[in-house]
Amino acid sequence: MAEAPRQTQPSTRLTYDYVTRTIARTIGNPTRGYFLLLGAAVALLAVGIITLVYLLRYGLGLAGYSHPVYWAVFITCFVFWVGIAHSGTLISAILFLFRSGWRTAVYRTAEAMTVFAVMTAGLFPLIHIGRQWYFYWLIPYPNERGLWPNFKSPLIWDEFAIGTYFTVSTVFLIMGLIPDVAAIRDLATGWRKKLYTLTSLGWAGTNEQWRHYTRGYLYLAALATPLVLSVHSVVSWDFAMAIVPGWHATIFAPYFVAGAIYSGVAMVITLLVPIRKAFHLEDLVTMHHFENLAKLCLLTGSIVGYAYVCEYFIAWFSGNPNERAAFWYRAFGPYWWATWTMIICNAFLPLLLWFKKIRTNLTALFVISIFVNIGMWFERYVIIVVSLAGEPYAPWANAVYNPTWADWGIMAGSFGWFFMWFLLFVKNFPAVSITEVKEVLPPPRRAVSRAAR
Amino acid sequence: MTDAIDRRRFLKVLGVTGTGAAALSACGIGPEPTEKLIPYLIQPEDQIPGIATYYATTCRECAAGCGIQVRVREGRAVKLEGNPESPINRGRLCARGQAATQGLYNPDRITSPLVRNASGVFEAIDWDGAIPQLGAKVREASGRGTVFLTGAEASSFGDLVGEWMAQVGGRRLSYEPFAFEALRAGNRLAFGTGTVPSYDFANARYLLSFGADLLDTWLSPVEFQNGFARAHAFDAGRPASMAKFVYVGPRMSLTGMNADEWVATRPGTEGALSLAMAQVIVSQRLAPLPGDVGRLAELLGRHTPRAVAAAIGVEREAIVRLAREFANSRGGLAVAGGMAAQYPNGAEIVAAVNILNYVVGAVGTRVKFGADLGVGETNTFADLAALTADMAAGRVAVLLVHGANPAHSLPGAFQQALGKVGFKVSFSSYMDETAAACDLILPDHHPLEQWADSRPRAGVYALQQPVVQPVFDTRPTGEVILRLAGRSGGGTFKDYVQGKWRELHRRFGAGKSFEQFWFDALQQGGLYGDAPARAVRLANGIDTAFSRVAPPADAESETGGEVDQTVVVFPHPVLHDGRGANKPWLQELPDPVSKIAWHSWVEVHPDTAAKWGVAAGDFLLLKSSFGAQKFPAWITSSVRPDVLAVPTGQGHTAFGRYAKDRSANAFELLGVQANSYGGRNFSVRATATKTGEHRRLVTTEGSPRERGEGTVEVLSLARARSLRPGDAPFHHAETPEYAAEAVEWWAERQHEKAELGDYRGEQPRWGLAVDLSKCTGCSACVTACYAENNIATAGEELMERGREMSWIRIERYWLSDERGAPYGAVSSPMMCQQCGNAPCEPVCPVYAAYHTPDGLNAQVYNRCVGTRYCSNNCPYKVRYFNWYNYAERGGEWEAWPEPLSMLLNPDVTVREKGVMEKCTFCVQRIRGAQNQARLQDRNVRDGEIVPACAQSCPSEAIVFGDLNDRRSEVSRLAGNPRGYHVLAGLNTKPAVTYLARVVAAEAPSHG
Amino acid sequence: MVSLVLALPLAAQTPAGRYQAPVVTDTGDLKGPRQPIFFRHDIHAGEDQIPCMYCHYSAAVSSEPGIPSLQTCLGCHVVVSGGTRAGLEGDTGAAQAERAQIQQLRTAWRDRKPPEWIRIHALPGFVRFPHQRHIKAFGAQSCSKCHGDVQRMPQVYQVETLRMGWCVRCHVENKVSRDCSVCHY
Repeated sequence: MAEAPRQTQPSTRLTYDYVTRTIARTIGNPTRGYFLLLGAAVALLAVGIITLVYLLRYGLGLAGYSHPVYWAVFITCFVFWVGIAHSGTLISAILFLFRSGWRTAVYRTAEAMTVFAVMTAGLFPLIHIGRQWYFYWLIPYPNERGLWPNFKSPLIWDEFAIGTYFTVSTVFLIMGLIPDVAAIRDLATGWRKKLYTLTSLGWAGTNEQWRHYTRGYLYLAALATPLVLSVHSVVSWDFAMAIVPGWHATIFAPYFVAGAIYSGVAMVITLLVPIRKAFHLEDLVTMHHFENLAKLCLLTGSIVGYAYVCEYFIAWFSGNPNERAAFWYRAFGPYWWATWTMIICNAFLPLLLWFKKIRTNLTALFVISIFVNIGMWFERYVIIVVSLAGEPYAPWANAVYNPTWADWGIMAGSFGWFFMWFLLFVKNFPAVSITEVKEVLPPPRRAVSRAAR
Repeated sequence: MTDAIDRRRFLKVLGVTGTGAAALSACGIGPEPTEKLIPYLIQPEDQIPGIATYYATTCRECAAGCGIQVRVREGRAVKLEGNPESPINRGRLCARGQAATQGLYNPDRITSPLVRNASGVFEAIDWDGAIPQLGAKVREASGRGTVFLTGAEASSFGDLVGEWMAQVGGRRLSYEPFAFEALRAGNRLAFGTGTVPSYDFANARYLLSFGADLLDTWLSPVEFQNGFARAHAFDAGRPASMAKFVYVGPRMSLTGMNADEWVATRPGTEGALSLAMAQVIVSQRLAPLPGDVGRLAELLGRHTPRAVAAAIGVEREAIVRLAREFANSRGGLAVAGGMAAQYPNGAEIVAAVNILNYVVGAVGTRVKFGADLGVGETNTFADLAALTADMAAGRVAVLLVHGANPAHSLPGAFQQALGKVGFKVSFSSYMDETAAACDLILPDHHPLEQWADSRPRAGVYALQQPVVQPVFDTRPTGEVILRLAGRSGGGTFKDYVQGKWRELHRRFGAGKSFEQFWFDALQQGGLYGDAPARAVRLANGIDTAFSRVAPPADAESETGGEVDQTVVVFPHPVLHDGRGANKPWLQELPDPVSKIAWHSWVEVHPDTAAKWGVAAGDFLLLKSSFGAQKFPAWITSSVRPDVLAVPTGQGHTAFGRYAKDRSANAFELLGVQANSYGGRNFSVRATATKTGEHRRLVTTEGSPRERGEGTVEVLSLARARSLRPGDAPFHHAETPEYAAEAVEWWAERQHEKAELGDYRGEQPRWGLAVDLSKCTGCSACVTACYAENNIATAGEELMERGREMSWIRIERYWLSDERGAPYGAVSSPMMCQQCGNAPCEPVCPVYAAYHTPDGLNAQVYNRCVGTRYCSNNCPYKVRYFNWYNYAERGGEWEAWPEPLSMLLNPDVTVREKGVMEKCTFCVQRIRGAQNQARLQDRNVRDGEIVPACAQSCPSEAIVFGDLNDRRSEVSRLAGNPRGYHVLAGLNTKPAVTYLARVVAAEAPSHG
Repeated sequence: MVSLVLALPLAAQTPAGRYQAPVVTDTGDLKGPRQPIFFRHDIHAGEDQIPCMYCHYSAAVSSEPGIPSLQTCLGCHVVVSGGTRAGLEGDTGAAQAERAQIQQLRTAWRDRKPPEWIRIHALPGFVRFPHQRHIKAFGAQSCSKCHGDVQRMPQVYQVETLRMGWCVRCHVENKVSRDCSVCHY
């Protein structure tokens, strides 16, 4: 990717100064539309909170659970959001290490998305447990009773994986922000000036600072990279470690990681398209970026599709009657519709991205990315709900599960929660990295630089 | 009395703290509520706080009269268990018996006398006001018709009622909706005696039931089931074991389900079949025939297999084969009843079966006249029909009803007739349909609250004693009558009963003082003797008696279709005639055959359903010439294609919160006229039409894919006989060789673990053995489990969503012949397997599910945070989650509304919302026994600990004990060649060993 | 009178060296909740040295210690009217006060209205504490291990926390099972 800078060969007006001002514009006074969006997000969040109050007062029975389907929409959403989170770190960290210049324009959005997605995901395990007020028993702390959590339980691994991931990605985001915040600090006034002064941690852009900054950033990236793989592997083990046919599979870790990145990239596209439009970032976030994202989609999507094929093949090839029963039930049981939604959205639709025409057509990309998001949600729904509902060991106990208003309420709330944070972020911090975009620009020519001065 | 009230208040507090404290403190919100401790005024000397006292008394939930022991803690009756002394139930108890406590503490009990005021609504009245009022009415009614209607009362109470009625010039009538009139008429027809004999199933070597549901509703189910298990189970320890059982009838009941062969004859032709069999036996001299058999020659001649085969719908060869098997077994026992005895020709059918018994010499040996059953003394349906007519004609001035609810079993006619009665009095302590139509209600004590006795069988005198203080302001009806009869001077009703027993003392006292005699009887629960056998001979004119034994194959049933169907109304195995309908335990207990709970249904054969385009849950409107009701369809091959079957029990218009307006009343379809032998026709012709409505059936049966692979194992009789000790036909499932190494390694680790901390030293490994060749699926264990472990009842809506909490569920898998037609079913109780290598344990993040040193998968309710991972990872799916706070006072999902909470077992935590719960082998009983043993510096003895399920099981199919103790019964059974573990291939190492069901599969089913 | 007193279990005691319960004039500053009747364990168990098991007899055989029935109280107080114990001489006020309490008890018995004692030592509903096992292990004098020195309490109050940590500590010290299902089921 050495030639990356040339790829973003800018138009003559694309100068350091221009970049700064364009991006700074994104945090200018919010429009009416922005407030409408924010309002919608907050409204959704309110729905979620009200539902949660009901759940706490009356019990989880309000949700659709029915024996033996004891995990359902809540855990589905949990995995979904953790998945979303992943592409962020991938783009910001891994691509950074790979020195792929095109990431510069998109990574900030992705990274913010990561943090907020993890924040969202983290809520679900707390909501879904039966006695939410005892959630802290899952945390190891010394107590007079001499009781500790069970470190054999994948749920405990999970807790640590998510925790780590949240910390690291947050630090990574803030770190990346420092020079940018400093830049806009110099343009800002009023309370924002104070905010940025604070968050830029006294950045003056001296050589010393730059050297440390770039080093530090590099190390953090190196630190974050393994997380991309580890976190979702651990999440996948919540299922792979259980003996439920349809869960108990060695393929789960890679399968989940690919799926996570897949859904994440799709979400990045879903978010970036409107932002680009709203903030007129066409010059910075070019079709070239989208095409690369699309390619990433294509790659991960194919891996996911391959994983599906594997699952069914192994189920048949293993000759294990329970495995076979489980996957037969999955494809042709009462939940066939969910399964086929997932297969079509995740395995077949993205194949369209082989065509450059579609790859480079924003509307098409946007639509496809939406479908991928839907498909990936259903993937988790199928894995969790359908495997439990059709559990072949105790068919006598099989049951058909239907979500209720409570399930949907909490899910809606999670979207509200996510978008609220995201909207607040893009309005108050540069949604595109000023510094790194500049890095890939040719050094300023005298005339322009004078103008800039 | 005041003492009683104070004690009751004291108990209430216990009741509340028992549930409340657990709920509140478990929330971690706020401190413990300030509790009040209210001491006894006088400590009852036979009660030590914290220690259960057992009182022997008699179960009055049906006429069988099983002996029970009531477990009383701090003055609360918390659990009923069978009384081992009783010759009837031998220490076992059915679901209906178990649920008696829910009648005692029923929230819908009538709390005080009620009188209908001018505006027609009930208002409370005090006893001293009510009784004279009734007295006056009875006096002024003398001569103008006074009738006292009781239930089946072969008892001192019945005698007292009789005496009083004689005194006031009235008459006494007893009524049982299912009173076995055909049985009595049939016996009269065949032997000239109208009594109901007792049957010795235990010593039969070949069982043939013509519709008699001896395991669920017929005469004395617990007794018969126990005997049946002894005869029918494989290696029940006797040469006669594995007696083949053939069931003849249009529909497979719980009893039919346990048959080795099902002969689905055309309804009403059972008699022809038995005569044809008798004909074969006599003509081929297959058995030593009695002398006077010659008198049957002409009759039997008319019923050769060839002649009747067509009419019955069974091949001639099959009839001959059955006859041979029956005779050659040299111990055949045929019984007729239930469905077969409720057709217009029921009496003839019974008589025909009597003849079959007679020719093989079963009468006098396995059919015991002399030891007659008390239920035989109840009046016939004809008598009640006559009464109804009298009432309608205004010939009854005062009607007193006790222990019967005819307004429910004769919905139309009796209801209207009631209106014509001058003054109606009910002694019911529940607001049932009859009571609701009365003018005065004088609520009786619950049987557990009062003195009484009964004579379930000649020679057996069962005693009843009050085991708890009265819960409400009720009074024993006996007392009321004594006072009305002006005999209260002669003492209480207890004295009256004792008076009767003095007479018994004279006969059986054997030199004991009466006090001693009485005391012994109380301790034993009664006086258990044998009545002298009475020889019977064929009655005269028997050969001419059979006019209608084989009705010609009538046309319309063949043309079938929706136009005109045979609808068979059968007694619900759990709710029976509906008397159990207001007990949540019984409502939530799935019917053993259909697995449907909380509502009634109509059984439709798949072919019929296909023909009409009916899906499961579609409502069918059944319209007979007497009434119409709609029932949701349950589609099953366990019923004949030309027959629809509906259970009684539901469809109450009153009776209480759990019963009222629930589903439909099948009695509506039946006529009110008695048939030729004074019985009631329970099969009617009706039209069936789809209403277009649909409901989701409340059933515990899961996926239709299920065939029970890996859950139940079945052996053919031949194969089972060939097994030698040490054989392991199911061992192949234990560990696949590729896993052997891993398992080895794991065992090693387990062994190391067993050397640490609490695990060090000699530890028991608690285990269970379940013999599927004994288990009939009667579900007594399920209710016992509910009672012992404070399991919440979820109610219809939640159960429809699979939210029931039943720790032990009975899985029913059909046994089908090569043509896929079921000839029976295997029932398998599925409870926590207490795996040695449990999948649920490692996944629990907080160690709420963990392994105890004595090998239980403990569930620490107060540590559970409710991630529900354990249930996901449990291959048996026997863990149940508290979706709501079922103990919340007045909450929407409250399972124990006052005073129902009084039956909560104080030794078991009441689980709060958000925690997982499951079977723990009744760990409270284990710990209790261990505490007792330690006090005496000894270890627990084998058989000392009996979990609730094992205790109640009428067929003694469940055995509990220590698997590490080589000498224990359970480890002996665990080593039985028939033994296997469910899903053993998963290497979960369950502590529950199932013994494979054995079927005499030589013969296929047909019909 | 005397002979009757002798009939009671406190017969054996010699006056010498026996603990003398203080005269309580102001109950206001006593620890613990105020009970409907000012029953003084320090007099009964301390001064008169009636063994705990005399009233709470079921503690040795059952999981529940049980609260004595009024009958048990009256067993003595039919004859013992109070106000005569050593230390009350001359203090007519205190003597009267103590008599008044016993009078209250007799009234309760006459009206068949047992006093509603305030519960002091309560465990959550999900804990099983078999008293008999602990008394078997520590002996009949061991009540104070958990209940404090009741014999010196004019009014009973909770001494130990009765929290799980406290239970566990003792189980560890005595090397007995810490298996959860010993107490929780």
